[in-house]
Amino acid sequence: MILTGPAIAAAVARGDILIDPFNLSDLNPNSYNYHLFPEIYKGSASCHPGEIPSLPIPGTGLLLEPDCLYLGCTDEFFHSTRYAMTLVGRSSVGRLGLFVNISADLGHVGSHNRWTLEIKVIQPVIVYPHQCIGQVAFWETTGMPDRYAGRYQHDERPYPSKDARLLSSPHEADA
Amino acid sequence: MILTGRAIKEAVDQGEITISPFESARLGPNSYDFHLGTKCRTYDILVLDSGRPNPSTVQEVPPEGIVLDPKRIYLWDTWEVIGSSRYVPIIRARSSTARLGLFVHVTADMIDIGSINRLTLQLHAVVPVRVYPRMRVGQVTFWVCSGEIVPYAGKYRDTESPAGSLSYRDFGISE
Repeated sequence: MILTGPAIAAAVARGDILIDPFNLSDLNPNSYNYHLFPEIYKGSASCHPGEIPSLPIPGTGLLLEPDCLYLGCTDEFFHSTRYAMTLVGRSSVGRLGLFVNISADLGHVGSHNRWTLEIKVIQPVIVYPHQCIGQVAFWETTGMPDRYAGRYQHDERPYPSKDARLLSSPHEADA
Repeated sequence: MILTGRAIKEAVDQGEITISPFESARLGPNSYDFHLGTKCRTYDILVLDSGRPNPSTVQEVPPEGIVLDPKRIYLWDTWEVIGSSRYVPIIRARSSTARLGLFVHVTADMIDIGSINRLTLQLHAVVPVRVYPRMRVGQVTFWVCSGEIVPYAGKYRDTESPAGSLSYRDFGISE
């Protein structure tokens, strides 16, 4: 079952969900709004995101180009030991042709981080720091929970793929 | 929990789900197939600004359809009015649509409870593809929620689909 906005607020109050910072005004009927952290990696045909230093997103906006892949992240930290999470874009952003993830929308029970966004645009789009860009939904689970102990725990900024090593050594990347 | 086709039909009969027009033949084991409408909106400019209004134009699509350009985003209405006062609708492409490389949304698959309207689909073609008005393009699923329901009262409530992005309103700008 998917939590309604009031159920998300109640879970935050009980401590079953951590959203930091949390504002009641960002609750939707069945999700919570997140915002764009002002740092982004740019990747292109000539380099993976993360091979060159990240860019700040200035207050005047940053132009995102098609044919590139950007890694940004949420302003908010998300964490729940009880609910699984899914991340979607805001309809207002989808209507501009901006993808916020590349078919990787599931957030595991126990993960605790600023959620890295895989951003791709169809037409050029100008984005701004801290703008509302998407939503997270929370799902009840069934079965004994295992905690996420993955490679992206506690990320505080956009984090490039740790599988980039695959290009040189597939066995090392599996370690 | 996700509703079965029969449960969708019962909820439509009880007024908890709106799908109009509704045909039982369009029910799948856990979804309902929806169709493109006849209206397509495109932006008049190439570079889109998420902080400002972006001029756009709606066209009535002729029966012979239009070829979608991979470098543009197309906003298209659904033939059906879709929504629910009790369940969370989530949309996705039909497999037959996806096999043509056609996205029906741009990471914005979740509809708020209480938003009952023709949907605004965000069409993106990976390779050029011709699409036709009234074609069966996607499916809507319905998910049980947990918690008190506060219906959608957001900025697209009274818009006519396909509606362009109102992202700029998040910046305190009115058109």
